[in-house]
Amino acid sequence: MAFALTASRRRLPGVLLLGVTVLAGIVILAVIGAWHTPFDPTAFAVRSRLMPPSLVHPFGTDEFGRDVLSRVLAGAHLSLMIGFGAMLISLVVGVPLGMFAAFHRGMVEEVIMRSVDLLISVPPILLGLLILAVTPPNLFKTILAVGLVYIPILVRLSRALGLALLQEDFVQAAFARGEGASSILWHEILPNAWPPIIVECGLRITFAILLGSALSFLGLGPQPPSSEWGLMIAESRTFLTQAPWVGLAPGVCLSVLLVSVNLVGEGLREYLDPHLSGRAHG
Amino acid sequence: MAEPLLAIDGMSLEYSTPRGWLKALDDVSLAIQKGTALGLVGESGSGKSSVVMALLGLLDAGARLHARRIAFSGEDLLSRAAILRGRRIGVVFQDSAAVLNPALTIGQLVTEPLRVHLRLPPVEARARALNLLDEMGIARPVQMMDSYPHQLSGGMKQRVVIATALATDPDLLLLDEPTTALDVTVEAQILDLLDRLRERHGLSMLLVSHNLGIVDRLCDRVAVLYAGRVVENGATATVLDHPRHPYTKGLMAALPRPDVSQSVRLSPIPGGLPDLTVPETGCNFRPRCPFATSGCEQPQSLLGTGHQARCHRLDDVGDLPWSVADQAPLSPQAENETRPLLQANGLRRRFSTGGSFRRSFARADSGVLAVDDVSISIRNGEIVGLVGESGCGKTTLGRLLLRLVPADTGTLHFDGTEIPGTPAATFRRRAQIVLQNPDTALNPRQTVGTILRRPLQHFGLERDAAEIERLLGIVRLPPSYAARYPHQLSGGEKQRVGIARALATRPDFLVCDEAVSALDVSVQAAVLNLLLSLRDELGLSYLFISHDIGVIAHVADRVVVMYRGSVVEEGGVQQVLRPPYHPYTELLLSSVPIIGRHRGAVSVERSTQRPDTAIEGVGCKFAARCSRKAGSVCDTVAPPWQDVEPGHRVRCHIPANALRDIVPWQLGYALERVTGTIAE
Amino acid sequence: MAGYLLHRLAGALGVVFAMSVLIFAVVHILPGNVAYAILGEFATADNVRALEAKLGLNDPLPLQYWHWLSGMLHGDLGASVVMQRPAAPLILEALGRSAILALLAFVLVATGGIALGVFAATHQGRLSDRIATLAQLVFIATPEFFWGILVVLLFGSWMQVLPATGYAPLDEAGFLAWASHLVLPVLVLACGLLAHVSRLTRSAMIEVLQSRYVLAARAKGFSASRVLWRHALPNALLPAITILAIDLGLLIGGVVVVETVFAYPGLGRLLVFAIEHHDLPLLQAGMMVVTTIYALANLAADVSYAVLNPRIRVGGASA
Repeated sequence: MAFALTASRRRLPGVLLLGVTVLAGIVILAVIGAWHTPFDPTAFAVRSRLMPPSLVHPFGTDEFGRDVLSRVLAGAHLSLMIGFGAMLISLVVGVPLGMFAAFHRGMVEEVIMRSVDLLISVPPILLGLLILAVTPPNLFKTILAVGLVYIPILVRLSRALGLALLQEDFVQAAFARGEGASSILWHEILPNAWPPIIVECGLRITFAILLGSALSFLGLGPQPPSSEWGLMIAESRTFLTQAPWVGLAPGVCLSVLLVSVNLVGEGLREYLDPHLSGRAHG
Repeated sequence: MAEPLLAIDGMSLEYSTPRGWLKALDDVSLAIQKGTALGLVGESGSGKSSVVMALLGLLDAGARLHARRIAFSGEDLLSRAAILRGRRIGVVFQDSAAVLNPALTIGQLVTEPLRVHLRLPPVEARARALNLLDEMGIARPVQMMDSYPHQLSGGMKQRVVIATALATDPDLLLLDEPTTALDVTVEAQILDLLDRLRERHGLSMLLVSHNLGIVDRLCDRVAVLYAGRVVENGATATVLDHPRHPYTKGLMAALPRPDVSQSVRLSPIPGGLPDLTVPETGCNFRPRCPFATSGCEQPQSLLGTGHQARCHRLDDVGDLPWSVADQAPLSPQAENETRPLLQANGLRRRFSTGGSFRRSFARADSGVLAVDDVSISIRNGEIVGLVGESGCGKTTLGRLLLRLVPADTGTLHFDGTEIPGTPAATFRRRAQIVLQNPDTALNPRQTVGTILRRPLQHFGLERDAAEIERLLGIVRLPPSYAARYPHQLSGGEKQRVGIARALATRPDFLVCDEAVSALDVSVQAAVLNLLLSLRDELGLSYLFISHDIGVIAHVADRVVVMYRGSVVEEGGVQQVLRPPYHPYTELLLSSVPIIGRHRGAVSVERSTQRPDTAIEGVGCKFAARCSRKAGSVCDTVAPPWQDVEPGHRVRCHIPANALRDIVPWQLGYALERVTGTIAE
Repeated sequence: MAGYLLHRLAGALGVVFAMSVLIFAVVHILPGNVAYAILGEFATADNVRALEAKLGLNDPLPLQYWHWLSGMLHGDLGASVVMQRPAAPLILEALGRSAILALLAFVLVATGGIALGVFAATHQGRLSDRIATLAQLVFIATPEFFWGILVVLLFGSWMQVLPATGYAPLDEAGFLAWASHLVLPVLVLACGLLAHVSRLTRSAMIEVLQSRYVLAARAKGFSASRVLWRHALPNALLPAITILAIDLGLLIGGVVVVETVFAYPGLGRLLVFAIEHHDLPLLQAGMMVVTTIYALANLAADVSYAVLNPRIRVGGASA
């Protein structure tokens, strides 16, 4: 198993600190932006259409004269919700299923794992398209679609971790005492399984946000007048050359979000996975 | 004396760690004469493997190596290591499974040094490789050339590793724990092979090992390494028979030996390795040394000629025995107790292979019969030793006796009551297990206190601080340890906590599954003593599973020998250790490298054949490997149980009288005879 | 090995079959009548009835599924209700254009990603490795659609060196025009995946370089390049193939997005068109084609994994 079972307290990696700081900033802005923005993000102002960045409108205005900064702020929580919501769904569904498969070998495990094989054999975007194509798309369906993509990954990971930990001597000792499955799962397995699961989520969340914003860009996410960043970029394309700021602002914000999430993921891995840090000499 | 082939003079090595420079080697000087073998002995953390890496010039970038001189047949090894390694210095690492490149065939691996270093054309390289494999005792080398490492057994892999190391006909062979993780029978074959190669090629060897028996078997001279310093060196027989440095004395006193009477208590070395990041100019063994006095804090030098030891009190203590009496002498086992505590009859367990889907449709007789009709009984206060090679089913049997693995057939009685497949809580409370690996036996995210409290909680027992303190006291740990996490404990301490956890429920019966195998000798002795004392104090019974016959011979009252799922011999420990015994027991016992045995002993012929597939249920399972096969009856009729003495029985076709005439293993050591098959 | 391949082939067929059920089920069972979905909310009852009859929507579902599946197996992919044309030629034409795009990008990702990963692993900790790591981070963190509009702005609008959008058929517009329309989409498609593949290849390679067999090869006195190419690389290629197989799925997602950004008339654009216009028969057919191709590509990855891995190719562990 890649994760050594000793959890020694080590210094937080700089990468993690940087990532967490930036991400925390984005989250705070997103929370504020969901309630209050400098301008009404959906109010049309015909006289100030497609205005370049200025002191009043630092990111300029769009084709309806809406303040781009306000729209970016108001849409921030949507990108965050898609990424983290999808991860939450896959965690809540995937980990129990995986652990269940690890504890109950046999037909139940077989059914779970073959369904997972099937789900993983479908290109992620196709799953999204399939779910969002027929019924009108909205934010929650996008979260669901993206979450569905990552469920099989977490099922496989949890099952593998569960199986490996079940072989560990301290778990065998718990069985030798006659402890029940739920007690073993709660006291012996999960405390040792969560670090690798969190690391995996940290690394996958970048891709969850990417997929979510791509679906949104294709028109399969939150609908106008929402200001989800993928959607804003899609809408900006028609007047891209006249007013590039309308698309650049949410694009750059999205990239900053993704970089920070990625740094957090990598930093968590460095922190929680002693396998990577300096090996012992002997 | 002629210029030695390898002369290391004052080698020091430091690694950079977060806590500062760690002095892994401190002024180490070694010399190997041409054609001789030097053993470098030390426990984990002694720095012995670092010597090998330093000689190969393969230290990590963060390491600081310094030496007055390292000369290899007149050349400066420090600057020429990259050129000499692989050409004139060969190396055999441990763990051949990881050392052989999984993507290359055996042929590619063995011919590569020939083609790269000797620039042989392909045809010649192939011919040489075939010769090499043949010389390594590999039957059907042509077929072997196209095999991949994963298709080979552990012993065969190690033979291939040796072949690649010897391909360029080097002058010096470095052996880093070359037989660790191999079964004792395979280990004996590898040692025989190395011995033969040394004679035939006039090879010089540096053997790095923790196993004194192996070093004694193979080496002319030995150097004992403690915490980065050579504390004693000399001719092997002299050093091991008459150790003069306190540490070497301690090692010898801690070593359980099947040839030494059970009544002799093992003496552990108290304490642990010093912190090597703290500079220490005096003797670094002195905190653990029973002979330490003033003057030990002064720098010590190697004293003596020929047989040297690094101790200023050599004249005073050199001839004194090691004496750390931390426990009362052994009390003999209560003989009058005859009622079995645990009685198992006809236990059988088959493991199927393949995925669960395939398993549900598999025929009933496919898969591996891990335990085949085994009956065993253990009395109150008795220690039953269970020995056998890896894969013989001894671990499965241990779990079957605890009902941790469901049995296919057979019954189990504990204290007079039959134990069903799903046992009641009382059985779980009274029958516990101590597991092998101290590093994985404890949940790393719980404190020692929590770990000990869990079983108490589960059975609704008293679980206050006093009880935890009592448990820690039983295994001789201070109460403050309750707040520690496993990673703050040493290996021996972890194993003590594992034992305390098993004892928490006040059981009557413990299965000790290789409970001391992962520990260094000096720590192992302390844990063995503890287990023996607990038997005396608490009247526990043990099933003691081990591959180490020395350990079994030391602790067990009775011994059960298993081969491929079946018991082939059982009896009192002294009965099993001497003839008459089962030919398999003979093979096991004659394979153990025991200090001093090979000197002037008779060699016993031994077969190395080991069939992959045998027809189950027909004939004797050991027949194909047996060097004393009685005839075709062995292949066709299951061998009967013969009572050779009261309480000692052997499952063999050979008449008891003939078995009685076998040369005692103490007098004969095995010599390998290769029979024509590729599999071991 | 034959057993392994048969197993994988059966798996691929199973996936395609299961997806056909899923696609059919989603389109037909999810709330919202198919005919209404096609005709929109202002459809009259007569129109709906006529369309339902035409599409066979009044038959029992299993029968409808059987008609649809058997049609598929005979090469009849149904017809686009919006364009009023058979779906097969539409899809085939779009597929050809997408295939070129995907194939070029994949070759770039596979060769460049593995080469960069190996380079970074062997220069671990040095400046070049750090720069590569930083670049990878930026590329992974930039969505294809944002890259798309950036390069369209940069090359198409401001520098005007390359056509920003669209497609030029090879036989009509000539090679140069054809190729110049491909450059930007292929680059945008490749860069994110290239970063991903090289990053994972780097970790795989570092793990291999720390293995005991690489240490053993060095101890045998072989040159650094020999140790790298002969002992380390063959073992690092196995995880690299697994990584590439995972990235195939991301590549398909990328194709859909990139075709939309560059108005490139491929299969991805067709799927999005079908969704936007509720052209469900076309959507079903397109999805089935993509699923099948993805299953085949994964099968190819499995085969190459097996060929490179002696444990599968030769099999039979004795110990």
